[in-house]
Amino acid sequence: MNDQLKESILNTSNTVDVVEVFDPRDMTPVVKPEDAAAASHWEVRTQEQPYAFLSDKKVDEANRYGQKIDLVDLTGLPANRSMFINDNPEVGVNPNRNKQHGFFFTADNCIGCHACEAACSEKNENPAHLAFRSVGYVEGGSYPDYKRMNISMACNHCDNPVCLKGCPTRAYTKHAEYGAVLQDPETCFGCGYCTWVCPYNAPQLDPIKGQVSKCNMCVDRLEVGLKPSCVSACVGNALDFGVIENVPENREQAKTSIPGFPTPEITHPNIRFQQTRTMPDEMKRTDSMPLKYHKEEDGSYTPMVDQKKGKTKHWNVGRLSSRENPLVLFTLAMQAVMGAFALTFLGDQLHIDVLSQFKASSMYVPLLIVCLVIGGAGNFMSAMHLGKPHRFYRGFNNLRHSPMSREILGVAGFMSTLGLHILFSLPANDMFQSLYNGVIGSDIGDLIPMTTSATIATVFGYLCIAFTLFALYYMTRCYRIEARPFWNHYQVSTSFVGNLLSLGSLLGGGAVIATLALGGFDIQAALVICGALVTLGIALEGFGLVGHHRDMSKASHEGAASHYIQCTTFGKTYMLRNVLLSVNLLAALVLTSGVFGDAFSDSLALAGWGLVSVTLIGTCLVSRALFYVLVVPTTMPGAFFWKNKGFEEHARDIGLANMPQVGVVPNLH
Amino acid sequence: MIFGRKNRKPIVIPQKKVAEWKYSTCNYCSTGCAIEIGLGDDGKVVTSRGHAGADVNRGKLCIKGLLEHELFESPGRGTQPLMRDKFHHAFQPASWDQAMDKTADKIKEIQTKYGRDAFAVVSTGQLLTEEFYTLGKLVRGCIGTNNYDGNTTLCMASAVSGYKRSFGADGPPGCYGDFEHTECLMAFGSNLPEQHPIIYWRLKEAKEKRNFPLIVVDPRVTMLAQFADIHLPITPGTDCVLINSMLHVIFKEGLEDRAYLEAHTNNLSELEALVLDKRYDPIHAQHECGIDEDRIRTVARLYANAGAAMSIWTMGINQSTHGSDGVANINNLNLCTGNIGIPGGTSLSITGQCNAMGTREWSSCSGLPGYRVLENAEQRQEIADFWGIDPEFFPKKRGLTETDIFPAIETGEIKGLWLVATNPMTSMPNTPRIRKAMEKLEFLVVQDCYEDVETNQYSHVYLPASVWAEKEGCHTNTERRVNLVRNALPSYADSKPDFWIFNQMAKRFDNGHVIHFPDTPEGAFEEMKTLSVGSDRTLDISGMSYDKIEQARGIQWPYRASEEGRKGQQGLRGDPRLYTDGKFQTPNGKANLICVDFVNNNEQPCDEYPFWLNSGRVVEHFHTRTRTGKIGNCNKYSPTPYMEMNPDAAEELGIQHQQYVRLTSRRGDAVVMVQLTHRVARNAVFIPFHFHDCVNRLTLGLLDPYSRQPAFKQCSARIEKVDQQEAARLNAERRAF
Repeated sequence: MNDQLKESILNTSNTVDVVEVFDPRDMTPVVKPEDAAAASHWEVRTQEQPYAFLSDKKVDEANRYGQKIDLVDLTGLPANRSMFINDNPEVGVNPNRNKQHGFFFTADNCIGCHACEAACSEKNENPAHLAFRSVGYVEGGSYPDYKRMNISMACNHCDNPVCLKGCPTRAYTKHAEYGAVLQDPETCFGCGYCTWVCPYNAPQLDPIKGQVSKCNMCVDRLEVGLKPSCVSACVGNALDFGVIENVPENREQAKTSIPGFPTPEITHPNIRFQQTRTMPDEMKRTDSMPLKYHKEEDGSYTPMVDQKKGKTKHWNVGRLSSRENPLVLFTLAMQAVMGAFALTFLGDQLHIDVLSQFKASSMYVPLLIVCLVIGGAGNFMSAMHLGKPHRFYRGFNNLRHSPMSREILGVAGFMSTLGLHILFSLPANDMFQSLYNGVIGSDIGDLIPMTTSATIATVFGYLCIAFTLFALYYMTRCYRIEARPFWNHYQVSTSFVGNLLSLGSLLGGGAVIATLALGGFDIQAALVICGALVTLGIALEGFGLVGHHRDMSKASHEGAASHYIQCTTFGKTYMLRNVLLSVNLLAALVLTSGVFGDAFSDSLALAGWGLVSVTLIGTCLVSRALFYVLVVPTTMPGAFFWKNKGFEEHARDIGLANMPQVGVVPNLH
Repeated sequence: MIFGRKNRKPIVIPQKKVAEWKYSTCNYCSTGCAIEIGLGDDGKVVTSRGHAGADVNRGKLCIKGLLEHELFESPGRGTQPLMRDKFHHAFQPASWDQAMDKTADKIKEIQTKYGRDAFAVVSTGQLLTEEFYTLGKLVRGCIGTNNYDGNTTLCMASAVSGYKRSFGADGPPGCYGDFEHTECLMAFGSNLPEQHPIIYWRLKEAKEKRNFPLIVVDPRVTMLAQFADIHLPITPGTDCVLINSMLHVIFKEGLEDRAYLEAHTNNLSELEALVLDKRYDPIHAQHECGIDEDRIRTVARLYANAGAAMSIWTMGINQSTHGSDGVANINNLNLCTGNIGIPGGTSLSITGQCNAMGTREWSSCSGLPGYRVLENAEQRQEIADFWGIDPEFFPKKRGLTETDIFPAIETGEIKGLWLVATNPMTSMPNTPRIRKAMEKLEFLVVQDCYEDVETNQYSHVYLPASVWAEKEGCHTNTERRVNLVRNALPSYADSKPDFWIFNQMAKRFDNGHVIHFPDTPEGAFEEMKTLSVGSDRTLDISGMSYDKIEQARGIQWPYRASEEGRKGQQGLRGDPRLYTDGKFQTPNGKANLICVDFVNNNEQPCDEYPFWLNSGRVVEHFHTRTRTGKIGNCNKYSPTPYMEMNPDAAEELGIQHQQYVRLTSRRGDAVVMVQLTHRVARNAVFIPFHFHDCVNRLTLGLLDPYSRQPAFKQCSARIEKVDQQEAARLNAERRAF
């Protein structure tokens, strides 16, 4: 070690040089210990050791993906800006503060001792159920030729921070200082979308506080030239930290992946690995995820399904209920009302007789009001599902990057234009006219000419259709997440559009047919049109599901694991859904085509459609619930208790979770 | 551009506003890490950090140490003394005077009625050394029972016994610095990464600076075994066969250090004759210890040919029927290869509790303070004179150990018991038997930081004790380093330092008025210093003082007042190694080579109970979880008991990962969750010992004939399927914390 450091370590008064430091490794610090001690961001320990100091001997021009490491060069932002950590205006003394930093993990060395996690939780004052850094493991081989590889993982402060892009509230900032991706819990409204898109499970949603928080790279320590707390605490000499692409002393590799680590292609994470020990061909996870990792010819490991629960099929209907229930109802509700509006509005615009008849009837506006109420309820549930519902308005803050912001914009646009369309459709409504006349005592036409209101209503109607398309598109984009392969499939689009058609036609068509029937009109044409759309919707959903089944069965990623759970834990429920969907499709087809001709009376047909409707709603609910419950993210392997979904579920079931020190949040509802 | 945001969000990181750092030493294991406790303006604990300038840990701490400052206000702390007439009555709050008077009266009553030894005292390895010394004074000098022991009998007794048999005295002869010099390290039943993470780090650092071969002997593929250059997955309990076989190879091939042996050891020819017996020829020994003959030879040659080689061991050796023998045999190995008292060559027992060493040195459990023995009249006289009492008050030989005290309660010889900071209801083997014994006690006083310690179920008086830095005093660590705990904060509620409790209790006995009991721990330390003086005595702390210890962040003994200033570190360095001159604490100054002929008396797996049952520690918990079970960021890594089981064995029995099973043994049963892993052999299971009503309901705990330490790690069990819901309910019910 260099003399300067040694000197400054020794120079503390009233202490004795008790640590004999002789070390062949060059660990020259980037910040002189006396400068570190003088800086205000962090109190350097008495006689701090070389391992705690950042020690970068070089800075490369660009990282392996071609991105510049000097972030001032990369961004054009000024150097020497204060980070205002805890409002401290002082600029850090670290000369490399504008370089992209990252973790270095020597997987060969990790002993799984939890010191990194403990140091992190202590510094950040995290309760037991939250952790910015977690250690899990994969294991393989057979006794005594057995290997366990522990993996300690926090945030990788990615070049492409999908969390930042996904967050609708703009709670995230990627700083030109250290390339740190930091998140502000006080901005966050707790939607948890960042936790969906991150492949490494770095952002932590606290169900108790209702907000997300995450690894802050210990930028306070970095500013004075110290490595993050977790690194400084590492007891196995496994964790290290520095300017990205630098290989620490005594290390010889800088790989971008190890068994259990998701593909770096999604986000270009700023973490490098050394893993030289030969691992068994198959590495298993001890947590409940039905995944293992298989060695490929090039030595890399790819995920594959681990049939942990055998092949027995179960119902587990109760397990369909999850904390995402509000989203099940929200998405279905929005798709239904969007479909219903599109059917009745566009049907009239396209001069389809029965639909124009309906539009002209006094029931058009009430239907739309029902749609508005259903949509409103859906939105309310979705907002209440946030950790901090009162911050719902922040959902528009990241239109630039976040599909979720755009979805929220689309839905809000749909709701408001629908409202305005209803408002301006009122003057043409019989019931409203008489009501207005009765209450106000004058004709509505005096307030606004009929043609004017009709024109405005039409304009809002088309705007509403535009918002429908916008919202629906981004609703699907929200789920096309690379870190969630079960969702990242065209089945999202076919299901959402299919449900829009089927549920929309059910809701809208139901109103149309009821109106026509009560008015004594012939309902046959309406039945055919709406029936065809319902049939088309079911067919489209079914088509997507068949494709999804085929692709997930062939796949070997986390999506395949989801599908395995679908076919086993929920196997019977899944089968029933498929059967019902197929039967329903057939029934809808039969009813629409009228193959039985006059053998079917109207009432019999209506009864048939009633049955189809009930089944349709049932299958939609089950399908959507499965969609949310099943998704397996590309997350890091857990341990036997910690970060093991199976144990968490069990701890909730048997009441262990009621003890806070178990580290599992009990069911809050 | 994602960086381009003009309005960056504020960065808020919790700040710990520390007004003062208080020096301390960790109160969990025996590594002896220095910790600074950060106090805020209001004197409350806000954080802690490893002391970067301490030689032992150099700033590092393990998970328990990092979170240790959270324990002061954890649930279950005792707030006031409690009393009741029968253990099945409800507790009533009491004043300290009432509780102490009742305790003293009961002790006297039992002693009068049934004899002095009918009242027993079982202490711990968790107190501070001055407290141990004071307790020893109280028990040996005032109460006068000979049935006085510490729970160190459950962890370190075999090491003590083995050291005494080989070297004539207790005291690990090496230090952590030996890692930096050794050319070969052999670890017997010691899993440093999990049990002593910071010692592991010292080893890892040494290996990164200069690599050397690591040999690990363990029936389980522990983390250390996995990282070893050579892992020997031994048949449980047969370490002595392996060592004898290594010695066989060494002597047969002439690899021994004959010059050293002839100059510094007794009994060479007997040992040579024993190990050269054909039973210990690797050809035969391999079948007994499960390590093939080639491997035995490789390891023996590697060890003997290394310039300096060292052995470490922990409970894998100590907690077996051949615990003391195992230690003596490891000493044999090192004596035969000339590896005692040289840099990098040593027999280093890795101790368990933070102050197991302190209790061994000063508590008088196994004799009298300062490694003195009751069997020596001169030493009885010396202490009696120093304390100012009649030497006839002392018994002339050592009484019962902890493991013999409970059977004596069973037989009715002992009627009253004082437990200090120990929890036999969870920690003793065969707890069904212990529970029955506890029920028979006429009087039980439990002195503990935690009111919810399971043993308190049977107490008549509960005395709430202060914990760690609520007190002041010293610890001695594995490498004989005396280190200081400064008083950092006041005692919790109406709890009191153990030191105060012993002093107050002494006042209630006749000799308590004769013997001087200093008011402060430092006063007691001064007495210990005086008692430690002696040029032949290894345990000499006479040159130390609290201030010097803090300044040096711990001083190893011997550190003699007469030699002050002679050593490095500005005169504050004690001897890093013992026996560097080849002179031992035996009558003729030579080390004893101990002949260990292995007799297998372990309960073996059989048709009825086909699995080896092994128990041990996990890194996030300490002892019976009274502390770590309440710190969420420790406890969450194993909040409920589990069992490592081989997947192939599970397959045969139709048992799945994360299911519950019921284990039965010839003692009792337990319910655990199964973790399938190839870490354990097909006929073996492993269960952490931290959990109440769990593995120790099953263990046999045959006693080592010398150390009386139980063999926790070798017995057999059967695995049965259970109704999952019933088992889950039982598991949840058994976890009060």
